[in-house]
Amino acid sequence: MNGGRMVECLTLARRIDVTAAQKRLQRLGAHACEPAWVRLWATGLGVADGKPGAWLLSAHEMRRALLLVGAELPAQIEKPRAGVKIDSGAPPTPKALNRLWLWERIATPRHWRIQLLDSMPVPIWLPCWLGYARGRHLRLTILSGLSGETLPMLKPIVLKGLQQAYQSGQASATTSAGASERSEKTI
Amino acid sequence: MEGFTLFDTVVLIGYISLIAWIGSRFGKDQHNPEDYFLGGRKIPGWAIGLSVMATQASAITFIGAPGWGFEGGLERLVTFINVPLAMIVLILVLVPIFHRAGIYSIYELLERRFGPATRTFTALLFLIARGLATGVVLYAPALVLAVVTGWSVNLTIIIMAVLAISYTVMGGISAVIWTDVVQMFVLWLGALLSIFFLVTSLPGGWGDVFDFGAASGMFNAIDLSFDPSVTYSLWAGLFGGFFLHVAYFGTDQSQIQRVLSSPSVLDAQRSLLIGGYLLIPQMLLFLFIGVILAAYYQQHGLTPPDDLNELLPRYVVNAFPSGMAGLVIAGVFAAAMSSLDSALNSLSAVTVRDFYSRYIKPNASDAHYLKASRLATIFWGLYATLFAFFAGNLGPVIEAVNQIGSWFYGALLGTFLLAIFSHRANARGAMAGLIVGMCAVWAVSALLDISWLYNNTVGVAVSMSVGYLVSLTAPAPSQEQLSDVMMTEAAPDMQAVLAARADNAQVIGKEARLTRRRCIGLFVWFCLMLGTLALLQGWANEWWANG
Repeated sequence: MNGGRMVECLTLARRIDVTAAQKRLQRLGAHACEPAWVRLWATGLGVADGKPGAWLLSAHEMRRALLLVGAELPAQIEKPRAGVKIDSGAPPTPKALNRLWLWERIATPRHWRIQLLDSMPVPIWLPCWLGYARGRHLRLTILSGLSGETLPMLKPIVLKGLQQAYQSGQASATTSAGASERSEKTI
Repeated sequence: MEGFTLFDTVVLIGYISLIAWIGSRFGKDQHNPEDYFLGGRKIPGWAIGLSVMATQASAITFIGAPGWGFEGGLERLVTFINVPLAMIVLILVLVPIFHRAGIYSIYELLERRFGPATRTFTALLFLIARGLATGVVLYAPALVLAVVTGWSVNLTIIIMAVLAISYTVMGGISAVIWTDVVQMFVLWLGALLSIFFLVTSLPGGWGDVFDFGAASGMFNAIDLSFDPSVTYSLWAGLFGGFFLHVAYFGTDQSQIQRVLSSPSVLDAQRSLLIGGYLLIPQMLLFLFIGVILAAYYQQHGLTPPDDLNELLPRYVVNAFPSGMAGLVIAGVFAAAMSSLDSALNSLSAVTVRDFYSRYIKPNASDAHYLKASRLATIFWGLYATLFAFFAGNLGPVIEAVNQIGSWFYGALLGTFLLAIFSHRANARGAMAGLIVGMCAVWAVSALLDISWLYNNTVGVAVSMSVGYLVSLTAPAPSQEQLSDVMMTEAAPDMQAVLAARADNAQVIGKEARLTRRRCIGLFVWFCLMLGTLALLQGWANEWWANG
């Protein structure tokens, strides 16, 4: 987490609306849902000296990266509005990113020709949906707001973010008694 | 009886060239990464599932299962009756943990949980076991080539090894899922045509098959004997075969690789579901061919070949119309190549990731690792070739593959279950459990007369119990070591956070969980299959009793 450091991010357009997200989360047993945004780092993938054809979305704490297919990042002009915003912190080092992609390529030999393009990682806000499922424990399901796929690899980052949001919410409730609304903030 | 004609040879070469062309056209020459990645996503789930099945077992099923059926009828189906139950465990327990852990090789999970020695040892076990089993997979198409050409099987093993290694080193063609699907249909078509030609060649048609099958007890798929020495009793299938398949699909990197690469847990589950539903009917089909072949051999007074793996390829070559035999044999070749390609790839990936890059050259360039992975492919190809020379002595190839796995995988599965279910287990216990578990399997199979299907059960039980007890002699693992196997949101402070958020989130209606529905579906399928076999057995015995 990089505290209050705010970097200008691209905001990816949310493609899965609330109805579609609820339908998917319902099938996964969730009883409540809310929108969220997770800040990750996008690095272009392509053939050598070519333009990006896909993007590797990563964060310092992620063990495996996410893959976003498309030449352009599907950005929207508006900044993220509704929903908790979770910052994953500083980008992985170029060396770590290269090594991450190397293992992806070795695990899937048909990806061998695709290389990590030599460019700075771009910070992006990835739209997500958080689903809460009751059981013996409350469980969290993270759904991509782009594809509707579940993203279990984001769980450590999201849980850490929610915990910090909760703690800072509690702290502000203690210091400014009487505040009726808990403000969502980037953490 | 036409034999393998020139036209068959033309069809064989044409089919393989076509598959190779499709592979190189759509698999390797895509310079746009968007096409590369989207290619896989536009393909429907059922095609991906069939592709998984084609990679898993099609060639050795085609060759091995009819030999099984010829020898023992449907009794060996109990080996596979447990597959839906095994898939339930995989879907519920192993896949979510593996997927969430974000690992490339499943042995990494054991390193995080138990330390580097456990990872290295389990990865080594995988390399030895899968390398040996790949030898059997290599033997299958070599045998077909030997039947078709009349050459010695040792020569055809070398030819197939050279082809398979070069093909894998060059990148393989398995990138194209549709070619796997086509191969699957070609093999099933071959199986259905074999049944048609076989049955129509019998004077009494199906009546002869059922008379012969019922008279010789070949439809007795369910043996309720509690005697552990009965190899294919229902209990051996349920309590032994179940662990065999959980271990095979859950702890063998070559099988779980696709699951780890799936974009989501639900996608990963889908590919397992297809196997859960289709493996039993597929085995039933090929075992049934073995029964019909037995009736055919008896009616025509023929002597079966010494190696029962040759039964179906020999029949296809001799009885199928010219051209059709070439197509089916080509399907076996292409399917075997697809299996060999993924096995050699996973062996080389584990060699480079779990050994070479850790112990020999930790910070080499991409090009260096690519070279190392190609050399590893060649090494494992040679290792498999050496073992393939002995594979013919192991009986039906399908049983050989499973038996080899059963020497190692029970203890391996026990170690994974210990890692997941016991939060007290530690590195010392895991290593002790693993070693003692394997020794127990070898001791039991050497000293006791019990079904080999129980090998995995023994391995799981011994490795878990020894592992747990030995763990008590060393300190408990840290919370960090448990992070991959514990539900991270279960901590009390995290529950408070989630409860606060859930209370403020939008409420949605309740519906049965997809995973639960999928598991119930698999369980119903298991009951249905078991019931069908019981009905078939009862009906066949009634038929025979009534003359």
